[in-house]
Amino acid sequence: MSNYMVELENVCKSFPGVKALDNVSLRLKSGEVLALLGENGAGKSTLMKILSGVYTKDKGTIKVFGEVIEDINPVKAQELGIAIIHQELNMCEHLTVAQNIFLGREVTKNGVLSDKEMNHEAKKVLNRLNIDIDPETIVGNLSVSKQQMVEISKALSTNAKILIMDEPTSALTSKEIDELFTIIRKLRDDGHGIIYISHRLEELEDIVDRVMILRDGQYITSMDYKDTTLKEIISYMVGREITEKFPRIEKEVGEKIMEVRNLNAGSHVRDINFSLYEGEIVGIAGLMGAGRTEMTRALFGADPKESGDIFLDGEEIRINRPIDSIKSGIVLVPEDRKRDGLCTKLSIKDNISLPNLDLLTSKMGVVNRKKENEITEETVKNLTIRLTNSDANAESLSGGNQQKVVVGKWLARDSRVVIFDEPTRGIDVAAKVEIYNLMNELKDQGIGVLFVSSEMQEILGISDRILVMADGKITKELDIEEATQDIILEYATKFDRKIEMKKEA
Amino acid sequence: MESNNSSKRFKRIFSKRGMGQVITVSIGLIMLIIVFGFLNPNFFSYRNISNLLRQIAPIILIGVGQSYVLITGNIDLSIGSVVGMSCMISATLMTKGMNPWLAVCISYISSIFIGILNGKLISKAKLPAFIATLGTMTIARGIAQIVNNNYNTDSIGAKAEGFRNFFYYGKTLGLYNTIWIALVMWLVFNFILSRTRTGRHIYAVGSNINAANLSGVNISSTITKAYLVSAVCSATVGLIITATSGMGTMDAGNGYELYAVASSVIGGVSTLGGQGILLGTIVGASIWGVLQNGLQFAGAPVAIRNIVIGIIVIISVLLDIVVRANKNVTKSKSKGKS
Repeated sequence: MSNYMVELENVCKSFPGVKALDNVSLRLKSGEVLALLGENGAGKSTLMKILSGVYTKDKGTIKVFGEVIEDINPVKAQELGIAIIHQELNMCEHLTVAQNIFLGREVTKNGVLSDKEMNHEAKKVLNRLNIDIDPETIVGNLSVSKQQMVEISKALSTNAKILIMDEPTSALTSKEIDELFTIIRKLRDDGHGIIYISHRLEELEDIVDRVMILRDGQYITSMDYKDTTLKEIISYMVGREITEKFPRIEKEVGEKIMEVRNLNAGSHVRDINFSLYEGEIVGIAGLMGAGRTEMTRALFGADPKESGDIFLDGEEIRINRPIDSIKSGIVLVPEDRKRDGLCTKLSIKDNISLPNLDLLTSKMGVVNRKKENEITEETVKNLTIRLTNSDANAESLSGGNQQKVVVGKWLARDSRVVIFDEPTRGIDVAAKVEIYNLMNELKDQGIGVLFVSSEMQEILGISDRILVMADGKITKELDIEEATQDIILEYATKFDRKIEMKKEA
Repeated sequence: MESNNSSKRFKRIFSKRGMGQVITVSIGLIMLIIVFGFLNPNFFSYRNISNLLRQIAPIILIGVGQSYVLITGNIDLSIGSVVGMSCMISATLMTKGMNPWLAVCISYISSIFIGILNGKLISKAKLPAFIATLGTMTIARGIAQIVNNNYNTDSIGAKAEGFRNFFYYGKTLGLYNTIWIALVMWLVFNFILSRTRTGRHIYAVGSNINAANLSGVNISSTITKAYLVSAVCSATVGLIITATSGMGTMDAGNGYELYAVASSVIGGVSTLGGQGILLGTIVGASIWGVLQNGLQFAGAPVAIRNIVIGIIVIISVLLDIVVRANKNVTKSKSKGKS
């Protein structure tokens, strides 16, 4: 009898043209949290999909609780006690919490659904995890973090012993992450085995017992977390020491490019005033829900504003719709590249030319294909977008390269200000550095860069000036020399304290 | 305690997605009935009411079928043609001297075949529902034309008297049998949709097909069952038409699939799937029927009736969108405050 819950030995998996996994082995003990780390495309998701039965392995053995499992499929994996919490939550948002928890294994009496019993059972599972949600709530009305907790409850209600969590914290606020970690610790103490996939390395210390690193489909190493350092982990992930994670360039601050006065739009954008100068990157820090994205959208004209004057190179400009903003040279690289940044079903070339069609078409509205190919080639070359063919769908690219396409489509025209909203979310370390370099290059060219990010380290590493937002307002402007994580956090949480004070009063 | 329970129950009914729309359109229906009641002194007569209900019954049936399919996130364009096919097959067989009830069975079997074909084409062969049912719609209409060599049939004759009474002319407990058929089928299908595992899976597939799949729901069988219900409803309506006119008509049911979409959508069923209740479909079908009946009495030509119904469809869905948009605004606002 082995004391491992899961043993994967020498697992191989190939997709047409790619060897996704090459002799990878993994072991998971009861009562531990194992972080599975690696850059995008390292094979983490593929390995987990094999374990949860979504993909079939080409070679290798899978042992669960010491037993060799030959062909595994999602239903069998569930029976074995393996549950996967996906990065994109998989809930039926029209159904209630209890209905989701029992989906596929509804409790019936004589063929009739017994909602009473299911609600009761669901409540029990939720209580076990100290989650305060009414099982009769419609899931679509819950926040993302609550939905995630429902998903975990669902997994536990199937008596899952092995939980796989794929980027569980990517959409959560820091308070919600705390709540999630409390639950994970509780599960660990109850003897569950947890495989935890995340790009946010800073979180690991709060939760992880052991780390295992994959690179290019190969097993690199695994070690106890307490015996290693972040720097070492990163170097294993990328296969080389990154001495300077954040490449910074020095540049004289020049003329004022843009000034925003009294920008108001809804409850999340209140009385925003700031200026942006040539040769600087202005970081916008804040917690989830602080109104950073809303501010960029209002600025860009994607959402209506109540008031606000915007000056570009000293002249007032009117922005009511995105086209006004694009024409005056203010462009936005949005937060969710798949939803707002790209037409994923269109080709890479189409995506690059879409906002530039005014430059590419004749007076009659016919697209000049030669010019279109030229700007595509130029963009691909300038940004070193790795692709096989610019006629391929944009969704075929990796996350980092998709992001470059989103940026590239704006750089094909002469822009004055580029607004980046969480440009490095969900992309690997190497691609992140390329994005930083790109921002630096814009800064060098005298283009104004606004940089919204939730990752404190990159904000500190790359910006020249930092605006901290909380509750829709700018609570502090910091020069990079005086900025530290503590100070930023202090001003980013100003809003929370106000609420507490109000409650007391 | 009891009042607490019942208020909770009340709340739950309201929170059910689509209920708001049902209540709104029910108010609309009541207003329509009042208006037509004033315009037409005979509107509330027993005769008019029972005729009106008999007129509405087939629309409820096809509406139920379409609602099932819409809730899975698909659409069934073959409804009208299956109505025609069922009508022509049953009538042709009866004119050839077959026992009417055997003819009824054969009509059901052939319609069920189309339903299963729809379901499998969509869930197994992954055809878009619009295309798959466009194909079966054309096929079913072709079958309706070919069974009697491209002619409408002669009268189905005196032997079929029992059949005609069962589906249209007869009355039970003072109500036309057609109304009873619609009522019983509605009760059965409403029960299946709201109280059984199959029904739950139909909502789940329409709400998030991936989540349903990963939860072990059999997607293919669930979608096929929805199309099966649609085909059974359509076949029944075809038989009602045969019984009504006493003959088979090749273009029976023409355009019914869209009436079915209209009554479902007016009643709050979302064409995007996952949402809607069959109570709404009854209200939607009733609005359709009352408008037809009332406008006909008021002397409005068919063209005007069509225009009015088209406008009602658009307004009711628009209403739903506006209501939902407002809800979201208040939701995000309260979130911002909290």
